[in-house]
Amino acid sequence: MKNIILKTAVLGAIMTLSISSSWAVPPSLPKIGGIDFKPPKGSRYTLENGMVVYLLKDNTLPVTHMTAIIKTGKIYDPKEKIGLGELTAGLLKDGGTLKYKSDEIDKTLEFLGASVESSIANEEARVDMFALKKDLDKVLDIYASVLMEPAFEDDKTALKKAEALEIIRRRNDNPNREAQREALRYFYGADHPYGWRPEISTVEPLTKKDLKAYHGNYYRPNNIIIAAAGDFGSESAFLAKLKEKFGGWTGGEVRFPEIPPVKINETRRVYFIEKDISQTFIVMLQKGVKRHDPVEFPLYVTNEMLGGGLSSRLAAEIRSRKGLAYSVYSYFAKRPDYGFINASCGTKPETYSQALSELLRQFELIKTETAPDAEVKRAKDSIINSFVFRFPTPFDLISERALYEHYAYPADYLDTYVDNMARVDPKAVLETSQKLFKPESSFVFVIGNTKKFDKPLSEFGPVTEVKED
Amino acid sequence: MKFTALIPCLLLLCAPLHAGAGTGDDMTKLKKLGAEVEKDAKFPPVVSYTMKNGLRLLILEKKFVPTVSFTMIFRVGNVDGLPGKTGLAHLFEHMAFKGTKTINSAGFSKEKVLLEKVETAAKAMIAEESKASPEPAKLEELRKALAGAEKAADALIVKDEYWKIYNELGEHGMNAMTSTDYTGYIVSLPSNRLEAWMIIESDRFKNAVLREFYRERSVVMEERRMGESDPNRLMWETLFINAFAAHPYHNPTIGWMDDLKRLTRTDADQFFKTFYAPNNATLAVVGDIKPEEVIKLAEKYFASWKKRPLPERNYTKEQPQKSEKRINVFFKAKPSLRMGFHNTGWGNPDIYGLLMLSEILSNGKTSRFYKNLVEGKQLALYANSGPSTPGDRYPSLFVILAAPKAPHTVEEVEDAILEEIDKLKKEPPTPWEMEKVINNYEASLVRQLESNSGLGMSLASNQQILGDWKFDWKVTDELRKLKPEDVSRVAGRYFTRDNKTIVFLREPDATQAAPPAAPAKGGVK
Repeated sequence: MKNIILKTAVLGAIMTLSISSSWAVPPSLPKIGGIDFKPPKGSRYTLENGMVVYLLKDNTLPVTHMTAIIKTGKIYDPKEKIGLGELTAGLLKDGGTLKYKSDEIDKTLEFLGASVESSIANEEARVDMFALKKDLDKVLDIYASVLMEPAFEDDKTALKKAEALEIIRRRNDNPNREAQREALRYFYGADHPYGWRPEISTVEPLTKKDLKAYHGNYYRPNNIIIAAAGDFGSESAFLAKLKEKFGGWTGGEVRFPEIPPVKINETRRVYFIEKDISQTFIVMLQKGVKRHDPVEFPLYVTNEMLGGGLSSRLAAEIRSRKGLAYSVYSYFAKRPDYGFINASCGTKPETYSQALSELLRQFELIKTETAPDAEVKRAKDSIINSFVFRFPTPFDLISERALYEHYAYPADYLDTYVDNMARVDPKAVLETSQKLFKPESSFVFVIGNTKKFDKPLSEFGPVTEVKED
Repeated sequence: MKFTALIPCLLLLCAPLHAGAGTGDDMTKLKKLGAEVEKDAKFPPVVSYTMKNGLRLLILEKKFVPTVSFTMIFRVGNVDGLPGKTGLAHLFEHMAFKGTKTINSAGFSKEKVLLEKVETAAKAMIAEESKASPEPAKLEELRKALAGAEKAADALIVKDEYWKIYNELGEHGMNAMTSTDYTGYIVSLPSNRLEAWMIIESDRFKNAVLREFYRERSVVMEERRMGESDPNRLMWETLFINAFAAHPYHNPTIGWMDDLKRLTRTDADQFFKTFYAPNNATLAVVGDIKPEEVIKLAEKYFASWKKRPLPERNYTKEQPQKSEKRINVFFKAKPSLRMGFHNTGWGNPDIYGLLMLSEILSNGKTSRFYKNLVEGKQLALYANSGPSTPGDRYPSLFVILAAPKAPHTVEEVEDAILEEIDKLKKEPPTPWEMEKVINNYEASLVRQLESNSGLGMSLASNQQILGDWKFDWKVTDELRKLKPEDVSRVAGRYFTRDNKTIVFLREPDATQAAPPAAPAKGGVK
């Protein structure tokens, strides 16, 4: 059984867990206690140039992990240059640096079994490092050079750009992924940063000048949080090393483009792509919440009940009772402006309308009937008791702390997280559902062979066919 | 389903991590229990213990957060299905989440009767469905009868109770997987749930009740359809069914749709009785636990699980391939290719030469494929390889996967791949290349130690499939023994034209424009 996708875009948080959990079923099980774990705090420093550093020494293995979180993201690309942030991130190491040629970096790192990898997501870029203890100094020097002074060598830039274009040409190979991406694109509008995708026309014209300018703006010490854990010697000695590497890097103002406000047409629309495939992929989207809205706590519990796992309502009804789908789930994603609530499933074309009707019905049901106490309690237990898994290693723990700061959560967010979850009750679940769920005006996106559909799509609302491109 | 273990999960020793062997006092206690504590500093101090019923435990105490990961691996996979019953191992794996006589049931003695009615109705329906020309009206009636029987049985089901218990316990990553070779059940829990796990799982494997079978069978059919919609899965399936003519690696783990339609709960019950025996399983427990407590609780809850004789498993051996096989698959996606060359399995030391060769070809940006295909000639978007897919229990395939970058074609990529292999046949790899592979292997062994669940999976599957939980550590020694000429020798032996199967994924439009035999322009728009 492959994992169903559980995405909750809620950032990790760290705290002592001491919520007790009384035991319900079955009675033969021993009494289960709470989870008492006081995660090490780690240390937080700010260098003179504004770079924030989190450190947690951990000498259980002779390795060091490090990550830099850079405040940028795909949503900040210029409209006519969508893909710029991704191309820049992809070339930090691969395009060589002022100090090290790209081939030299690859040879050195790969021979040592070390890694320096960069990536970008919607609202963050990352540069990660792994090094064995014996190689730390050598790898750290490359890492710092990659972060501060990428060279964007011409041949490597051309290669990476060609790769980005090929990935665009292949973006519809997997219809499941295509459905997820295109649903968001039409939900927010193809021109909105929350929904857009790189195009050949926005990647083709990118030049080395663009990459350098992008790097110069966002990759500045005062726009970066570093987190490291491992066997890096004493904390003060490692901090001194970081100062030596990054201390001379000067900070400066970072310019962020203005993101247009999210406008969601909250009337039922059905969009579809015709494709002759065995399964039909259905994505249903509703307006979600802004980051830092305290409604996230009851929403988290509500989502856990609705589509958070194999015992959730959607999985129980659509998968286990009706056998209509293998993959069915829901999740919500927070954004600075309105995020989204996603419910998805894959089913054969002959049963698509049954699955879609049930998706809609379950959202309606949870906002009309108060959920049983036991169900709400179970969802809370599930969240609270598995909280400790957010930081299975010292590096996970310290990078969670850094991420938490990156996304500007209130200072007491961590300490109140479990209490906030524990406070959610059936009333809060009902109110949250009533406030946020509007299945009747949700956006529906479908990819499949409509000739085999059991009912016309028009039964679910006004239909728009879009062509795959 | 696990397709590409490009390198199996790997481990390496590092003593300070493990609180395992603990004090002399702990050691004495463990010895008294009959457990064996690994003392060779080359390996982590895993505590091994075999119960009288044959269930083998591998325990490693590891501290940081108070959690523990459980991995139960059964040596039963899709290869062990009977003819006409492909997919049964995987469908059973789904059924193992449906409870026991006490979990998910509101009263088993009554429920049992209703479940038999479901089975009778289902068999009648399957019999009609299997006819050359089923009678539509009769079929409809039989389907309704099955639905009615299922509805009646629902009254005695406590729905999804098994999952709900684990949700409350705070499970993380509860899942299961079926491959050609094995079936694995995994979950991580807060470590003070150790006894709860023992109670639930011992019940699960002793007393599984396969309720809601026909609904779950539909879920698996949907899983199959999902795979049919994914060009990657389609290509792998096509490669295996063509490369293996006789050995059961031929069969898709998810099962043929036609077989799935005829599988019954009776089949699954029989499968459970045959293969889910303690002497066919290894349990790895890794995390913040005391090994002696794990052993005591395992004895308390698992000792009554009866040892059973396991069937002979001598399946038809794959005969040497005598012809090159070239297959075109048409699907609406950009072109790519999968290639397979038969290996001779992990029992033959050549496999280490193939492992080395694979890493030289495709590990990282300094690898030959990247340097020459992706970067130099700029033909490929990616090119990767692995020494043993789809399984490790029997001789398997060295696989290569690649995709061209437009306007280049799959044929150009194929030629370039073969050219790289030919170079290695003629000229051995450099010492730098081989040393790099070993360094990477050792570093990946260290990284594997970081995750409780990853480590548990490694220990249990290596024990159960390859016969030794220390397998990954020992691979390093095997790699070190290799000389550059050994790599050339295995390249020459295995990478022959008549040992090759190649699958091309082509867009339907392109095939109409150019017949499959002719070199197509490969999906350029």
